[in-house]
Amino acid sequence: MTDTLAKDHEVVLQQRRDAATQARRLKTLESLFELRAFIALGVLIVVFSLLSDSFLTVDNVITMTKHVAINAVLALGMLLVILKGGIDLSVGSTVGLSGVIAGELLQGLHIGFLDAVAYPQVWAVIVLCIAVGAVVGAVNGLLITRLNVAPFIATLGMLYMARAAAMLISGGTTYPDLAGDPATNNTGFGWLGEGRPLGLPVAVWIMIVLAGLVTLLLRSTPFGRWLYATGGNERATQLSGVPVKRVKVTVYVISGACAAMSGLIIASELTSAAPQAGETFELNAIAAVVIGGAALSGGRGNVRGTLVGAFVIGFLADGLVILGVSTFWQMLIKGAVIVLAVVLDQSQQRFQRNRAAASAIAAEHEDSEAPPTAPAKA
Amino acid sequence: MSSRTRTRTTALGSAALAGALLLTACGDDGGSSEAKSSKSNLITIITPASDNPFFKAEAAAAKKKAEKLGYQTSVASHDDDPNKQSELIDGAISRKSAAIILDNAGADASIGPVRKATKAGIPVFLIDREINETGIAKAQIVSNNAQGAQLAGQEFVKAMKGKGDYVELTGKESDTNAGVRSKGFKDVLSQYPDLKRVARQTANWDQQEAFSKMETILQRHPDIEGVIAGNDTMALGAVAALKADKRKDVVVVGFDGSPDAIAQIKAGKMHATVLQPAALGAERAVQQADKYIKTGKTGQPEKQAIDCELVTKENAAEFGLFARR
Repeated sequence: MTDTLAKDHEVVLQQRRDAATQARRLKTLESLFELRAFIALGVLIVVFSLLSDSFLTVDNVITMTKHVAINAVLALGMLLVILKGGIDLSVGSTVGLSGVIAGELLQGLHIGFLDAVAYPQVWAVIVLCIAVGAVVGAVNGLLITRLNVAPFIATLGMLYMARAAAMLISGGTTYPDLAGDPATNNTGFGWLGEGRPLGLPVAVWIMIVLAGLVTLLLRSTPFGRWLYATGGNERATQLSGVPVKRVKVTVYVISGACAAMSGLIIASELTSAAPQAGETFELNAIAAVVIGGAALSGGRGNVRGTLVGAFVIGFLADGLVILGVSTFWQMLIKGAVIVLAVVLDQSQQRFQRNRAAASAIAAEHEDSEAPPTAPAKA
Repeated sequence: MSSRTRTRTTALGSAALAGALLLTACGDDGGSSEAKSSKSNLITIITPASDNPFFKAEAAAAKKKAEKLGYQTSVASHDDDPNKQSELIDGAISRKSAAIILDNAGADASIGPVRKATKAGIPVFLIDREINETGIAKAQIVSNNAQGAQLAGQEFVKAMKGKGDYVELTGKESDTNAGVRSKGFKDVLSQYPDLKRVARQTANWDQQEAFSKMETILQRHPDIEGVIAGNDTMALGAVAALKADKRKDVVVVGFDGSPDAIAQIKAGKMHATVLQPAALGAERAVQQADKYIKTGKTGQPEKQAIDCELVTKENAAEFGLFARR
């Protein structure tokens, strides 16, 4: 009898140890998954550095980061939308629209009834363009919350409408020179694209500041908690008194404003604004967010992941250019990376569930610290 | 009885056959004569996209010429979508256009729609891009991309003094013109062993893509002395990247003769471009359409090439919107 008890105890202890080991192993695997975007980035950097000595130079890293910034700014806005469980397909068109409006304003705004031409100063141009982006986002948000249009459809419609607006305003042509004119006191637009305060391009600073702001927003404000909750379970969140509709409209407004910012950076870099700028940028932004581990169903994702996702896409593209790889291969590799990221994400979900189960077993056994007494006799 | 029936049947049969033949004949005859007589005074102009100054200039020139000759016009763009192009052609057929001026959406994908219009009795005049089939369209008037690329190549060699490292930016790899131009550059440049192409990348005809790819290429090859691009939009992207890198001495040559590029050439920031006389091709097509409508012939061979012209700082003032002033 005692023998059997001791044996039982031994078996249970063994089970407990097994469960704990498995939980530990799963935890290690999980943290590897959590870090997968970082690991991917690390692998990219190592491989490209081995293949070309001009990849890992200070200058090139800064240039690549500048390229990354354009996508990252879009992706940070997109992250908020995706956390909510939505999607914003209109950002690429908003990029084009923003540039065109900057072009129109810098060339001089004809005010019909006054028969005059106004030349807004550069800061005013920037503010107005971002406001236009925010309005585009607000329309998206209102379509989705007030008229119950599915986000995919509402923003798909806006993709066409915003592009059409850009075409109509510009008449389909490119604004060739956004440098401004000292005579009209509106020079300096080029600074956004060319300026290098403290050695880093302005675009990179914008990305850093924006990433900081979004992190703060998500971590330290009620809005952030509301957003994660809305993405996790919208109905429950609404029932607990969170202004879900306001949260939704806000994320689209922020996404639109981010897109406008991105459009300004591009127009400034080229000192010209083309109405077709930013075509398919929405897809790059979504890819960055997804590679960064966010769930398209909402409620899961963070700034760190999204930034790394944007870096993976940007470094991959630039690295392949440095190596002189043909575009067809570049497309293939990019597509494979995106799919791989999602496949890994699915496995992570599975592991997380397993680990939860394993820890539950381990915890259960830890509760019963004392050796089990004789089983109760039925 | 039985023989009578057979006779009647045969008679009926032959009458029906004759009737059918007559009807068919009538249908054919009446159809085409009707199409001719009730044909509107409309010339349909279809170009790839209205957001590109080149196609815009082309469409505008065709429209102006057609209106001058007393036609009504209808202008549309197919956005390089063969399906949309086919729908637009259906529209032109149902409106019984007198002629179609088409800058097509693909050398192979456009054969069907062009044949469809021709069968419906509407003559089609192709401009800017060819199709891989002859004998359907009444004319295929394209700028001589190979000759233009050689002109650009020769000017590039001259400006580079026959030596140095250079970068080539090519157009969308699925576009015939991208390949023809790239080959034209190569035919000239490969004769100079001291000219070394250190990178070749496509920027998909796009300015922003050319800008960021150029920036990246400059990281790998900071000592390049020239950039030759498959179109002006990409050349302008390269100019912006070189400016951001504070490189002033790099020779940039483009292709198209866009107004923005000509402005940069005048300002000394770009070396040269090759102007495709888009307006001239479009006007010529309308002229031949007019002649065909009136006489049934164009009086020209189907394939016609229009030579491109070199634009440098010296002669930049002589050129306007894809045409000599």
